[in-house]
Amino acid sequence: MPTTTHIDGFGPLSMTTPTTTAELAQVIRVAAAGSTALYPVGGGTKLSLGTPPTRPGQAVSMGGLTRIIDFPARDMTVTVEAGIIIRELRDTLAREKLRLPIDVAHADRATLGGIIAANTSGPRRYGFGTLRDYVIGISALNDEGNEFKAGGRVVKNVAGYDICKLLTGSLGTLGIITQVTLKLRPLAEEQAIISLACDADKVESILANLHGSRTRPICLDLLNRLAARRVFDQAHLPVPDAAWVLLVGYEGNADAVSWQVQQLVKEVGILAKLEARVDFTAQPLWDSLVEFAHRPGDELVLKASVLPSAVATFGLNADRDGVALRAHAANGIVYGHWTADASLDRAAETLKRWRESSGTIVTRCPSEWKKTLDVWGPPRNDAWLMREVKAKFDPKSIFNPGRFVAGI
Amino acid sequence: MTSAATTATAPKLADRMRAIVGPTNVLASPSDLVVYECDGFTIEKNKPDVVVFPTSTEQIVAIVKACGELGVPFVPRGAGTSLAGGCLPIGGGVMIALTRMKRILEVNYRDRYAIIEPGVVNLWLTNHIKPNGYHFAPDPSSQGACTIGGNVATNSGGPHTLKYGVTVNHVLGVELVLPDGRVVQTGGPHEDNPGYDLTGVIVGSEGTFGVATKAWVRITRNPEAYRTLLGVFESVDDATNTISEIIGAGIIPGALELLDSLILQAVEAAFRFGFPLDAGAVLIMEVDGLDAGLDQDAERIVEIAKRNNAREVRRANTEAERLLLWKSRKQAFGAVGRLAPSYCTQDGVVPRTKLPEILRFIRAVGTKYNIRIANVFHAGDGNIHPILLFDERDADQVKRVLGASHEILDECIRLGGSVTGEHGIGVEKIDFMPKLFSPEDLAMMVRLRSAFNPENRCSPQKMLPTAGACIEQSKAGRHAAM
Repeated sequence: MPTTTHIDGFGPLSMTTPTTTAELAQVIRVAAAGSTALYPVGGGTKLSLGTPPTRPGQAVSMGGLTRIIDFPARDMTVTVEAGIIIRELRDTLAREKLRLPIDVAHADRATLGGIIAANTSGPRRYGFGTLRDYVIGISALNDEGNEFKAGGRVVKNVAGYDICKLLTGSLGTLGIITQVTLKLRPLAEEQAIISLACDADKVESILANLHGSRTRPICLDLLNRLAARRVFDQAHLPVPDAAWVLLVGYEGNADAVSWQVQQLVKEVGILAKLEARVDFTAQPLWDSLVEFAHRPGDELVLKASVLPSAVATFGLNADRDGVALRAHAANGIVYGHWTADASLDRAAETLKRWRESSGTIVTRCPSEWKKTLDVWGPPRNDAWLMREVKAKFDPKSIFNPGRFVAGI
Repeated sequence: MTSAATTATAPKLADRMRAIVGPTNVLASPSDLVVYECDGFTIEKNKPDVVVFPTSTEQIVAIVKACGELGVPFVPRGAGTSLAGGCLPIGGGVMIALTRMKRILEVNYRDRYAIIEPGVVNLWLTNHIKPNGYHFAPDPSSQGACTIGGNVATNSGGPHTLKYGVTVNHVLGVELVLPDGRVVQTGGPHEDNPGYDLTGVIVGSEGTFGVATKAWVRITRNPEAYRTLLGVFESVDDATNTISEIIGAGIIPGALELLDSLILQAVEAAFRFGFPLDAGAVLIMEVDGLDAGLDQDAERIVEIAKRNNAREVRRANTEAERLLLWKSRKQAFGAVGRLAPSYCTQDGVVPRTKLPEILRFIRAVGTKYNIRIANVFHAGDGNIHPILLFDERDADQVKRVLGASHEILDECIRLGGSVTGEHGIGVEKIDFMPKLFSPEDLAMMVRLRSAFNPENRCSPQKMLPTAGACIEQSKAGRHAAM
């Protein structure tokens, strides 16, 4: 077990691995007494997100808190400790034909607490939403090492402030999440993924068509040529020869999925070359699409938020300089991935250009670049209120100082 | 600490408000104020000193700043359909009625959102976008009257939340006037704005963070088709077992509503749908979505219901039959008047599999207190709505109704649930908060509130218990539907 670690180039930091909430509470009390910083770590798959730590302190591995507390399958909820590995959670749920419908790359390393802190999502977010829609109860330790909770174990509950939402996506800056209750969904009976290969000038008309489609896709991922090559190569499938590839996903009962596949052919068959994969033949492409989020070798990753109607224009303009582009097109989320040929100068220039027409953050880059690149972008109008919330929850700023937006 | 205006300062307060919003947008005479002394929760009543009807964010900024200068509390109000006293003006002060801010500012179908002012009535938005095949998914039974601003405040639900989620799942951003007059926009039409999900905690904060003056809401495509089934069961247990099995089979119905025998009698007398009066319970089971998959789901539901001893499973064969069925459900509360002069509705939640237990408990409580209790509720979510029937002129009955209500809510907590699924805490359930949450949990909620509302001048004494502010309940008073 490692006893030291680096976080985003900062360190070495000593790392402790509490195995009970009481032990973790003690770690927090000691840190609070000395005003030293604490850096919670899950599977370490998202440590490149955010700005590097600003204060010496201690890393806290959540790998010792992995128990399943309660799994009443017929209520379609589960309560688990935050350090549980996503793969284990997924396997446990699947035994009861249930799932948390959030796509997670590196599921054999990522932890539930980690994906909640980072608000991880993937291609199925169009159909199923994001973690804020599934975290119905949460327990965390506060700045004094005391446990607090919000929400509960029932799927519908409006008692008290919904601090579950506040902690989801807070990057560990408000407390250390120890236990989570999730609302679950059934595993789909059938799945399909259809690839549409098309030229640049057809992208917007296909997206607009799909917006009005009689079918109800759960995924609309748009890939440029380079991204498509990576996704299909990893799935060991022939790469469609086209400037752009749109992957349309369906899930549901068998009748609904098969009807939708046929209907899609009718609706957009004349605009693009279609290839459908149904049932288990769709699995490699799904997996590869999810894993694309976190490819080893990615040097620089930018994430842009635009309106869905602007995705095609944004994507076409951004398709240059060796970028692998992938968009969750119906959500307006566009990712650009660059490998080792990226340079700081070019990254700065690209970031500036992207921000002219989107809100863009840097989700991965070499730590030393972060001295120059503005990772989170200009503060929004509510940044001061976020700082106010942080000051109330963590007045000594012991949790992940300096790593989040607005200097939090 | 803020305090109400006195008889000496109230006229000054009204003048100040008239200067901001104009004389036609202020009510200050005692006879006018009486309308605003309570919402759907009628146990506690208190008149505000002034009611103002602003028409812009700028006016609201000026109003809250004036309240700050004069040291009076204020409370926002939508249509006043809250069942928990969320808009009770504790300590008087200024009531900010948002019903004149009722514009739909933008509808963007391609990007699936609408921007609305807080006074827009829930159903108006759905009716507005219906021609294009869209709707606003949260649909509380009061949707013809309640405002979206109120839905945002209370995180409203409705019959379709099992599949489509509650209000917070459909709110993308909020413009909020804070108690000190600062205006923030949280979230917006773009997804994944970096930073804390402030929108997520503003929704459901019951007006204790500030005044929402604008909301960006998700609009949802209408289902292509429905299959609506009515299962008739000899017992409530058979009906609830059916619910668990349907969901266990991987089918998420759009709605699963349970009506017990007592409510069936009232509904049948009112609407003549043809409900069997000797049934133990009926289940309205509706699947929606693409036409292509629905028969497969419907057939499995029929099979499951039959396996759980359903006497019969009927199908709504026409849209007219379906609408009548839903009318019977949504207006069930109106029909209750046929059973007793007064009634009191509760709002509790249990894990879905505990439904048989809580319903047995409700029956036992009814016997113990000699109170008739009818049940009609969102069974798929485990969200119960027992209706306690009584005569409010009889003080002893009122006492028994309150006793029975408290026992039912305590049992919901014991079974791992909550005391409110969709109505809110308000003032009504404030005493249950320490039963649901530890002092540490509540302290963190106070910390959160203090980031938005440090002086507690906005909606004081709501949701979070304050030392020494306990409401003695002597009357039972929740009349509206959910």
